[in-house]
Amino acid sequence: MKKIILLLLVTLSISCNKKNLNEVNLYSQRHYNVDKKQYENFEKLTGIKVNVVKANADELIERLKNEGKNSPADLFITVDAGKLYKATELGLLQKIDSEIINKNVDPKLMDPNGFWIPITFRSRIIVYSKDRVKKEDLDTYEDLANEKWKGRILVRSSSNSYNQALLSSIIANHGLDLALEWSKNIVQNFARDPKGNDRDQVKAIAAGQGDLAIVNSYYIGLLLSSEKEEEIKAGKSIKVFFPNQGEGQTGSHINASGIGLTKNSPNKLNAIKLLEYLTSIEAQETYVNTSFEYPANPNVQPHEIVKEWGDFKKDSLDLNNLGKFREDAILIFDKAGWK
Amino acid sequence: MEINSFLKLEYKRWTLGNLILSLLILLPLFTLLYKFIFFDGSSFKHIFENLIFDYTINTFYLTLITCFFSLIFGIFPAWIISNYNLKGRLFYDLLLFLPLSIPSYIMAFTYSDILSFTGPVQSFFRDNLPQISNFLNKDFLQIEFLGILLALALFPYVYTASRISFSYLGSNYVNLSKNLGLSSFQTFFKVILPLSKPAILSGLFLVIMEVLNEYGAVKYFGVNTYTTGIFRSWFSMGDPDSAIQLACILLFLVLFLFVFENKSNSKKKFHFKVNSKIQKLNSIGKGKNFIFHLICFFPSFFGFIIPFCYILFNSISIIEKTDLFELLKLIFNSVGISVFSSFLIIIISIIFLFTEKLTKSKLNSFISQLISLGYAIPGAVISLGLIILFSGIQNNFFSITIIGSFFLLVYAYIVRFLAVGISPIKSNLIKQPDSLNDTAKNLGLGPIKIFQKIQLPISKLALISAFTITFVDLLKELPITLILRPFNFDTLATQTYQFAIEEMLIESSIYSLFIISIGCIMLLILKRNLNKDLDVS
Repeated sequence: MKKIILLLLVTLSISCNKKNLNEVNLYSQRHYNVDKKQYENFEKLTGIKVNVVKANADELIERLKNEGKNSPADLFITVDAGKLYKATELGLLQKIDSEIINKNVDPKLMDPNGFWIPITFRSRIIVYSKDRVKKEDLDTYEDLANEKWKGRILVRSSSNSYNQALLSSIIANHGLDLALEWSKNIVQNFARDPKGNDRDQVKAIAAGQGDLAIVNSYYIGLLLSSEKEEEIKAGKSIKVFFPNQGEGQTGSHINASGIGLTKNSPNKLNAIKLLEYLTSIEAQETYVNTSFEYPANPNVQPHEIVKEWGDFKKDSLDLNNLGKFREDAILIFDKAGWK
Repeated sequence: MEINSFLKLEYKRWTLGNLILSLLILLPLFTLLYKFIFFDGSSFKHIFENLIFDYTINTFYLTLITCFFSLIFGIFPAWIISNYNLKGRLFYDLLLFLPLSIPSYIMAFTYSDILSFTGPVQSFFRDNLPQISNFLNKDFLQIEFLGILLALALFPYVYTASRISFSYLGSNYVNLSKNLGLSSFQTFFKVILPLSKPAILSGLFLVIMEVLNEYGAVKYFGVNTYTTGIFRSWFSMGDPDSAIQLACILLFLVLFLFVFENKSNSKKKFHFKVNSKIQKLNSIGKGKNFIFHLICFFPSFFGFIIPFCYILFNSISIIEKTDLFELLKLIFNSVGISVFSSFLIIIISIIFLFTEKLTKSKLNSFISQLISLGYAIPGAVISLGLIILFSGIQNNFFSITIIGSFFLLVYAYIVRFLAVGISPIKSNLIKQPDSLNDTAKNLGLGPIKIFQKIQLPISKLALISAFTITFVDLLKELPITLILRPFNFDTLATQTYQFAIEEMLIESSIYSLFIISIGCIMLLILKRNLNKDLDVS
């Protein structure tokens, strides 16, 4: 008993010494190696120490919400704009105001309300078997509900936030009824129950378990630059297709990895400095070349592999919609039986 | 008379201390229950209409498959190793223990990679024997396959429990039943298994807990269980109420199992005589030899050798690109926090169990069961219970940060893993006749002296195994560490997960290799100690 009390006191007193002047604290969902590199470069450049806690976006939001005004976090980083919308709605963020960032970032990707900024973006695309699918047969996301794809579509589970974001965009563009109809038909067209991650869907095409898959663009880049010869082979057996490119169509669904500034950020100036650095040409090039994402800074070119797929028309939807319709999307998935 | 009344007072004090400590441990669970009682039922309707059936079927089916295979992988080898003079017996005995060091999600990820279309097995057959490759080209991400994989990671719980029980049973029962004309087959099923039922059940209980809690592997295989449902409704839907509803269903399920296990144990309460004759190893006939080898070889080969070698092989291919200083730091973090927390867990377990044994009061034995409940609740849910609890305290009373401190992290570990520490110590205490303590009491020894002079020496081995198993579990721990860790604090498990979730299995391998290796070393030390106590010298 005494030991426990003692421990409590000791830890509490340790936790007290938390003030360190020149630092910035991140709650981040991004945990790629490239991020660590970016923070190290920033530290070298400015002498500001970057502290990170990494976990899932929703868990970090819970933590921010519960910590309230005592939260040590300055920045909240996610790989899904929908979560930034959620954090904004919960009143966890404050507006970001910086000339440099405004100049660095493509204005079309920015949050119209100014609560968060994008650092990279990715598209959720269709990949198809070279041998079994003709490019002419592919058209839009909506077209995947067509009966001709019965037993041919591969996609991961509906718990995955990228799928939730995609359906949110369909709800935003076409309304709830059509989205439910679409989901039901897609489920009818599944080649198998949803499972595995995005790479597994591509491998399943190579294995002949299905003919086309809905995946995030950068996974194809990762697959093609894999250490394993077999994975590269699998990556080469498929082709990339950007849906909804035609006249009057919405453009391919995109989602941003972005950052919000927390409401009670204790190191606001340092936080803004980090944001300015991460959107700079130097940092953006680092992102693009290691994670195969698209840059938020229009002055930076994507990676060679990604560039080969060509330019594409992006869905111009306000990305906040990806969060706004999130709950509807999950309810629809459940009703449609999308596991 | 005087001594007795003094002791009674002393025991009351211990009971009181017990009560307070258990309240502290149950606090996060109470927070959940509070939320459970004061919730609005609108959102749960959706789950009830669309998902609960799927969740229930999957949870039960998966648990059933895993239990079935854990029993097969665990009991039969344990019987053979305990009784027969099999070649390579000691080696098998070790190997059958080691899968404990492999986190179940790593087991699942590794096997699906090995068997995937681009994995080594299928590519080999494609290049060399195309006829067979078509046969192998299957979708391996199935619930049945997942059940077998989980069983491969978890069967050592059953193996260890039955191995110890089989050895302690000694030769008396076996000889007796043979004299009565039973074949060795009959002896095993009619005498040995019923006698070892409590031990096997307690091992199986841990298996069931682990399956109910599994998140990473289950999600990857697209199998929706109660636990994935909890995560989905809490995090994706932002609906803690439904999540808590589901968590409480899980809790009740476990409570039911608890009662069931207790019932079946209490009916068959008996004490092993510690000095019952240790069994002589039988020699094996030629025909049986091969089958016995197969039975022992299968689970150890697929449960440990294959995944370990695959991960080792991947690690070697990536080692040049690894930041070794970083690796060292992660090892230090993982080992440090695990040692510290398991130490605390053991101390707390001792306090509870010892009080229970000494006072023999129903209340204390109830408490020591209740605090094991945390093991049934997914780590993420415990963490959030703690965050809700402490944010209330923090925002009202303190100007300092508790959330994101080591204190809270360790607190959560204790709530979740106390059951792991308690279980081996308890099964040891049950075996000791009450007469030891009673004699000591009559000789006028106070509780602390009894503990020092009597319990500590005879429980030493149980304490070591409790410590080791808790340590290995903490080393593998993921969800709690992810949510509650302080700034810049990474462990081997979180690092493994970060790569695995980004679908970079090769990059993750070197970190999982160290989780497994450190776990192995600890388990080997434990095994040596256990063997001294069993028949093996």
